[in-house]
Amino acid sequence: MLKPILLVEDDKRDLELTLVALERSQLANEVIVVRDGAQALDYLLREGDFRGRDEGNPAVVLLDLKLPKVNGLEVLQKVRATPALRSTPVVMLTSSQEESDVVRSYELGVNAYVVKPVEFKQFVGAIADLGVFWAVLNEPPPGSLKASSRRYE
Amino acid sequence: MNAPLPDLSQCAQEPIRVPGAIQPLGWMSVIDGNGQLVAWSANWPDRDRAALAAGLARGALDRLDSTGEGPAALGHIELGDQALDVLAHRSGDLYVLEFEPHVREAGIQAPIYSLARHFLPQMQRAESLQDILELAAVEMKRLSGFGRTLVYRFDDEGHGEVLAEAADRGYESYADHRFPAADVPTQARELYRVNHIRLIADATYEPVPLLGAPGWDPSSLDLTYSTLRSVSPVHLEYMRNMGTLASMSVSIVVRNKLWGLISCHNHEPMRLPYQARAACEHLGRLLSLQVAAKEDNAEVATRLDLRHLTLQIVSHLADSDGTLQRLVAEPALLLRMARASGAAVVLNEQCWTCGETPEPSQIAALAKWIAGRNQDVWSTDRLVEEYPAAAPFVARGAGVLALSISQVHQHLVLWFRPELVETIRWAGDPRKEVDVDVGGRIHPRRSFASWQERVRGRSAPWTSSEVAATEELRHALIGIVLRRAEELAEVATELGRVNKELEAFSYTVSHDLRAPMRHIAGYVDLVQDMEGKTLSERSNRYLAHVKEAAAYAGHLVDALLDFSRMGRAALKRKPVNSLLLVQELVAEFTRQEPTRNFEWDISHDLPMLWADPFLLQVALRNLLANAVKYTRTRDVARIRVTAVTTADGDGLKVADNGVGFQQKYVSKLFGVFQRLHQAEDFEGTGIGLASVRRIVERHGGVVWAQGEPDQGAEFGFTLPRADVGPQPRPRQVKDQ
Repeated sequence: MLKPILLVEDDKRDLELTLVALERSQLANEVIVVRDGAQALDYLLREGDFRGRDEGNPAVVLLDLKLPKVNGLEVLQKVRATPALRSTPVVMLTSSQEESDVVRSYELGVNAYVVKPVEFKQFVGAIADLGVFWAVLNEPPPGSLKASSRRYE
Repeated sequence: MNAPLPDLSQCAQEPIRVPGAIQPLGWMSVIDGNGQLVAWSANWPDRDRAALAAGLARGALDRLDSTGEGPAALGHIELGDQALDVLAHRSGDLYVLEFEPHVREAGIQAPIYSLARHFLPQMQRAESLQDILELAAVEMKRLSGFGRTLVYRFDDEGHGEVLAEAADRGYESYADHRFPAADVPTQARELYRVNHIRLIADATYEPVPLLGAPGWDPSSLDLTYSTLRSVSPVHLEYMRNMGTLASMSVSIVVRNKLWGLISCHNHEPMRLPYQARAACEHLGRLLSLQVAAKEDNAEVATRLDLRHLTLQIVSHLADSDGTLQRLVAEPALLLRMARASGAAVVLNEQCWTCGETPEPSQIAALAKWIAGRNQDVWSTDRLVEEYPAAAPFVARGAGVLALSISQVHQHLVLWFRPELVETIRWAGDPRKEVDVDVGGRIHPRRSFASWQERVRGRSAPWTSSEVAATEELRHALIGIVLRRAEELAEVATELGRVNKELEAFSYTVSHDLRAPMRHIAGYVDLVQDMEGKTLSERSNRYLAHVKEAAAYAGHLVDALLDFSRMGRAALKRKPVNSLLLVQELVAEFTRQEPTRNFEWDISHDLPMLWADPFLLQVALRNLLANAVKYTRTRDVARIRVTAVTTADGDGLKVADNGVGFQQKYVSKLFGVFQRLHQAEDFEGTGIGLASVRRIVERHGGVVWAQGEPDQGAEFGFTLPRADVGPQPRPRQVKDQ
C-alpha cells in the first residue's frame, strides 16, 4: 500500500491549487489535508481528533511555513524531536524566500525547502517533482502508514 | 637650571624668630600682664631703668588691643634727659616694648604725608604694573634715603627677579637680575610674610643680648614682630660681602602670599626713624594692593578671553559632526587658547595636527606616554627633563599641555610650545660661593658679580589660567563627545529599528503579496486549461493579460525582495576574476536568445575585482541584460566590455549600440523603479540599475552612465582595490 502524503496548508486557494497539482502529477498516494500546525501535530502524534487513526507515518509531510496556532518551524521542530517521527521526510512548501527561514529550516532538519513559484505551470511542476521524489522514489523508513481514504478538512 | 643649586638648607634651620638678642638701635623691655619686667636688653644701664621705661609706657598699652599684631607707636616718654619713642606689641601673654631715640613729630613734613601726597596720585595714573613697580622703587628710595632700591618678585621656585630698580651713582645695577631662592631661606620668607618691614641699620653691629628675670629664658621670646630683632649672622656676612652695610626690606604680600620685596641697600650704615619706616611699610601695603588689583584685573581679563575662545571652539565643534579631530580645523582659535605654536588631536592610532608640531610618530609616542600618567590635564614647560625622547623635537615642543578626553581610549588634545633659549643674569653665580668653615658654619657667597646662565630645553611656562581654561575646554569636549556618542547610539538604534521594520515588511511582502499573485496566475491557468476551448478568442486574450499581469507583479515582488536583501546581507569579499564572470554571462545570454545576432567584444584584460562574488555577478548580469535588452531593435547588437582603471579602483565598462537615453535623465537612471522606456517596448521591473548602484556603492565604489538617444549607452563602475586606502565609508546607510 502507498503511504499517504500529509499536506499542511491553511490558505484554501493554495490548498486547492496544490491538490490540483498533486492530482495532475498522477500520484496514487492519498493526500491527508490538515489546516494548521496543531492539527498536523495531532495527526502525526495520533492525538486529539486523530487519536483513533491507524499507526504509521506519512510518506512525506508538505508543510507550509506560515501557519496559524503552531507554525511550520515549530511543527518541524516537534517532528524532529519525536523519535517515532524523526525520519519522516518533511518538505517546507512556502512563499518565503527569507534566508533566515531557510537557514532555520535546515538547522531544524528539513529535507527540502521549496519556494512556491508564481507561475502555475512551474508550480505544478514543482509539486509533481516533490511528490514523485518523496512519495515514490524515496524509500520510506519502516513503519510508514498504510494508505487510507480519509480527508480531514 | 643646568647645575644644582647649593644646599643652603642649614640656613633654614636657624632660629631667627627667637634670636635672644636685638640690634643696638634702641632698647627693649618685656613685661607680663601685671606689669612685671620679665626681660630686658642688656644695653639698659640696669634693670631698674628698663623697668622704669616700661612703667612709663604702660599707661598707653590699653591702646594696643585694637591695633593688630604688628608693633604700634605709642608716642614717646621722657626718661630722665632722654626722650624715647615707644613701639609696643603683644607676644603671647607678654608685652614687648621697644624704645628708640625720639624723633619730633613732623606734621605735614611727616614721610607718610608726603607719601600720600606725592606717590598716590602717580600710582593712580600708572597704567601697567611695571610702571607702578618703577614708581615704587623711586618713591621708596626717596622715602628711605637708601642708595639703591630694588623691587623684585619671587617666581614659583623662590628665585627673586628684579623688576624695578632705583640706584644712586656708585651702586651696581641689578636690574633684570635674579637672586637665587637660597638667598632668602624659607623661615625668613615666612617672617617677611607676617612682618612687613625689617631694618638692619648696620651690618657690623654687635647684637645686644636679652637678659631675663630669674627663671625666665629670654631666648624663648618670639621676636617675629619686633622692630629691633637681631638678624642672622649669616645674613650680616652676606650683607658685608655684598658691600651693603644697611638694608631694609619691605614685603609685598598678595593674597596672603609673599609676592616679592622692596629691598633697600646702602653702602654706609643707615638709621631710619620710626615715622619714615612707617611710611615705607605703608608704601609696601599700597603696592601690595595695587599688585593684587592689577593681577586680579589681568587674571579676569585673561579668563574672560580664554572663556570666549573656549566657547568659540566648542561652538565650532558642536556645529560640525562633533568629532575631536575637527578641533584642528580651526587652528587659530585652538592655538590662541593655549598661546601655543602647535596643537594635535590624537585618537588612538590616529593623529591630526596644526601649526608647528613634532612628527606624528613622535606625537603618538608622546601621547602614549602622557596617557600612561593618567591625568586629566598634564603640562610641563620642560618636557625633555621628564621625557628624554622629546630631545629631537625640543625646538617645536619644549613645553606640552595635554588634555585627556577619555578614560578608556587614548584620546588626547596636545598643545606645543617651542623652546625659548633664555639668558638669565644672576646676581652672583648661584652654584658657587657656599663655604662651610671648619666649625661647620655656613658662609654665604662673597661674590655678587653679575653671572649669566643660558637656560635651554624650556618653553614659556603654562599659566594657571591657561591650565584652568583648558580644563574647562576638556569638560566641554567630553560633553560634546558624549553627546555625539549618544546621538550615534540613537541613530544606530533607529537604524536597527528601521532595518527590523524593513525585514518585517519584506517578510510580509514575500508571504502575503506573492501568494495572491500566484493564485491569480494559477486559477487563470486552470480556467484556460479547462474552458479555454469554449471561451471566445477575446476572453482568452483577456485571461492572458490577467495572467501576464499577475506574473509581472510576482516578478516585481521577487525583484524587490532581492533588492532589499542586497542592502542587508553582509558582504563576503574575495578576489573575483571578472573576465570569467563576464564570459559565463555572455554564454548564458547567447543561449537564451539564439535567434539574435550579437557581436560581443570582451577585453581580455578585465581585472580581478575585490568583491562579493554573488553580488558582483548580480550587478554584471543586470548591466549585460540591459545591453542585451536595449539592443533588441538592432540588426547586429554590438556589446563591448572593457576594463576601467582609475585612482580610486578598478572596474568594467559595458557599451552597447542600443536605443540609448538622454543624458539629462542620467540621475534618474539608477533610481528604484525608474524606467525611461515604455513598458511595452522593453520588459523589466526598473530595478536592475538600482541594484547595480546599490551593489557597487556597498563595495565603496562608484557607478556612472553615458548615453545618447539612438546612439547606444555606456555603463561603468569601479570598486576600491583591496590593498589601498581606508575601508569604504558606509554610504549605503543613506538610501536604506
